[in-house]
Amino acid sequence: MWPYILRRLLWGIPIVLGVTFTVFLGLHVMKGSPGAAFMGKAATVEQLEKFDRDHGFDKSYPEQFVAYLGEVFTMDFGRSWKTDRPVSDMISEGAGKSISLTLPALVLTTLVAVCLALIAAYFRGRSLDRGIMIVAVVGMSVSFLVYIVVLQYLLAFLFPIFQIHGYEPGFWERWQFLILPILIQVVVGMGYDTRFYRSVFVEEIGKDHITTAYAKGASQKRVMFVHVLKNALIPIITRVMISIPFLVTGSLLLEQFFGIPGIGSLMLASLDTDDFPVIKALSVLISMLFIVSTILNDIFYAVVDPRVRLK
Amino acid sequence: MALLALCALLCSVSCKHKAAWEEGKKVAHFSVRAKLGTLDPIRSSSTYDNEVQSQVYEGLYTYKYLVRPYQLEPLLAKALPTVSEDGLTYTIDIREGVLFHDDECFPGGAGRELVAKDFEYSFKRMADAHNQPTGWWIFQDRIAGFDDFQKRMSERGDAAFDWDAPVEGLKASGKYQLQIKLVRPFPQLLYVLAMGYSFVVPRECAEYYGDRFSNTAIGTGPFMLRTWTRGSRIILDKNPSYRDAYYPSEASPEFQDMLGDAGKKIPFLDAIVYHVYEQDQPMWLKFRVGDLDMTQLPAEYHEAVFNKDLTLRKTFVDAGIRNYNLPLLDFIYRGFNMEDPVVGGEKNKYLRQAISLAWDTKELNDAFYNNTCVLYDAPVPPGLDSYVAGVTSPYRGPDLERAKALMVKAGYPEGKGLPHLLLETSSGGNTEEQAEMFARALKEIGVQLDVNINSFSELSTKLKKKKAQMFGLAWGADYPDAENFLQLFYGPNEAPGSNNFNYKNPAYDALYDQSRTLQPGPERTAVYQKMREILIEDVPSFGHLARTRFYLWHGRLKNVLPDETFDGWRKYVNIEEQD
Repeated sequence: MWPYILRRLLWGIPIVLGVTFTVFLGLHVMKGSPGAAFMGKAATVEQLEKFDRDHGFDKSYPEQFVAYLGEVFTMDFGRSWKTDRPVSDMISEGAGKSISLTLPALVLTTLVAVCLALIAAYFRGRSLDRGIMIVAVVGMSVSFLVYIVVLQYLLAFLFPIFQIHGYEPGFWERWQFLILPILIQVVVGMGYDTRFYRSVFVEEIGKDHITTAYAKGASQKRVMFVHVLKNALIPIITRVMISIPFLVTGSLLLEQFFGIPGIGSLMLASLDTDDFPVIKALSVLISMLFIVSTILNDIFYAVVDPRVRLK
Repeated sequence: MALLALCALLCSVSCKHKAAWEEGKKVAHFSVRAKLGTLDPIRSSSTYDNEVQSQVYEGLYTYKYLVRPYQLEPLLAKALPTVSEDGLTYTIDIREGVLFHDDECFPGGAGRELVAKDFEYSFKRMADAHNQPTGWWIFQDRIAGFDDFQKRMSERGDAAFDWDAPVEGLKASGKYQLQIKLVRPFPQLLYVLAMGYSFVVPRECAEYYGDRFSNTAIGTGPFMLRTWTRGSRIILDKNPSYRDAYYPSEASPEFQDMLGDAGKKIPFLDAIVYHVYEQDQPMWLKFRVGDLDMTQLPAEYHEAVFNKDLTLRKTFVDAGIRNYNLPLLDFIYRGFNMEDPVVGGEKNKYLRQAISLAWDTKELNDAFYNNTCVLYDAPVPPGLDSYVAGVTSPYRGPDLERAKALMVKAGYPEGKGLPHLLLETSSGGNTEEQAEMFARALKEIGVQLDVNINSFSELSTKLKKKKAQMFGLAWGADYPDAENFLQLFYGPNEAPGSNNFNYKNPAYDALYDQSRTLQPGPERTAVYQKMREILIEDVPSFGHLARTRFYLWHGRLKNVLPDETFDGWRKYVNIEEQD
């Protein structure tokens, strides 16, 4: 397995390089020096030149790119131009807050969607199945922003069940602020996941080994939870694994509306203020997370399905 | 439903609106937008930065809280300065006994006394490019020897900045006395010394914190920084060693009813909490439930809150909400590059006048600003010297017939022969939609307009390189003097300076030079008027607007007179005692 992981990691290098190059093109070549935004409305030419010198914009593009590669190689992106704080500190602080929001949401969404999908698949073609699917489709059809705006208004303002906005860093204190955004994330994610998992389960139910299990006298419960669910784990794992990068990057809209100072907020703020070191660090981080999540995906395949071999 | 009921139960136990430490204290909760970037005064780049800094840091002068039009008063200075007869030398006595906040950067942790040297140091910080100062322009080409000093220090590269190197026009002439010598008269100097860039910082703390200095704040102000959780909130505590300072006893007639606390010691608040918001809805809902004491009204709620005559709707009045509609010293405009061969210069004046006449600023105001902006013609907004209410430019649109006639005069009947014009504008807000509306208006007179949306950096770069043919931009007053707007058209300030229009008119420049030496008064106002008239005729800019900011607060807050020219007024805010 280790040679496989090593090989996949090596294959990841061109991907990271590609992302690095694309980000470089977008920031350094197309956008150019953001000195004017940083130095204020009355910046002098000398000040702008000094800004460019200090941040390497006076060098040729190849030199600037090599410098960026150096940052990627050492994973040292220096300090934020906007906040003067180490980029690594800003990311690690934000990541914890984002994960507090996204991890429970992912776990809950998956659990609820799998359960609903199993029920729908079990009662396929009947009114309960149709009811679940109608709710899922309606749920999917409403935009994320509408859920946030409406549910924040209803459940935090009109009926003040939850907090409207805010965040406390303490582990226990933070949950009062996280319940509603987690709930919204679950509601939004549930529709798509339930439909997807139902189709996987229905396909699985139609297979010969399920008929055999019934013929052998296995109970409905055993068939659904052991034979169907176990064999449908690969698509479930795939779906969960591709969500891993989003656990760290957070949910931009939820973080913005609920005042959670996570990576989503950080990303938006850095884009808004042309904070290149943070933008570059986050871009590379996200691409690396995608590579790691696909490798983890493959490893889990091998764990749940003995037919899969990592070569 | 069961889940919701459980959440409600949990939240009723755990969801607190006020923290335990606030019990029995006067704590005001304000909102601030997420763009807050730095607490270092010389790096300030937004009104949000300045607002928070102004509670912690102080400068030599400020504005009288309850007096309009604006009048300066001493803050850390003992009195207004003594000015030499030639208007070049300012001698400023500093208050004695003023202490910096207690902080570990001082020996023993106790804040030391402020001295004149601190101002010398703080102003010199602006000459140190390593600090990335955004406010160097306030002193540039004004203080004797300061530009040379800045140049010499820049040439040292990475070598240590020589703080002890003398600057002819900037020196502590005594322990409590600062002397500033100008290269030429600059009557606006005191305004500049009231700006956030001129706040005083202690050298030992700036050096102690180094790169982290912009994330902390140690000043002499009425409040001290307790915590700053980026993207979430800032908590400021009352400065226990704040000097004896008192609520004002002087007020303009319209603010006489705010003198109830006159003569009482300030600050009244025990703490201020700034909550950071990136979206309008949560900010507004937090205000509605009373978790925020005060907020700016987001534009999308304007119609729900205000009547057509801009008074508060009854529901809000009954709920005990108060408001103040603050007219901003704002200059939102569209401009021409006067060096552009198609739209610039004297020969293309008729084309510029025609474009100005085709543009309906009233429609823009109605569609995008809820009709809350003030429209004006020369680039000096209402509330300043030389602004004359009711005087309208002959080129204010819409007047399509005259615009078309001027197009003929310009040599482009119905736009024939005129190449496509290009408007450069910045992204964000609804600038794109506004530009589309503008393009539609110009089509009426046969002018084809292309629009290019830029980031602010890109637009700034184009302007500095004189690469924009037409552009849309805004300028907020740095200080309440018409000069701050009129200098935008002064020839020697052409790009890369602040004159983005590259407007050069010898008559205008001569008047500007004359005005620079004049103290505020009728003579200077008359000169400003002449300058306005020239600009109205030449039309380097048009479609001018000044916005109004709508502040709302709950009735428990007292003494609130919001302002953005100076932000240090939270020290006067009080909270009504409740049984």
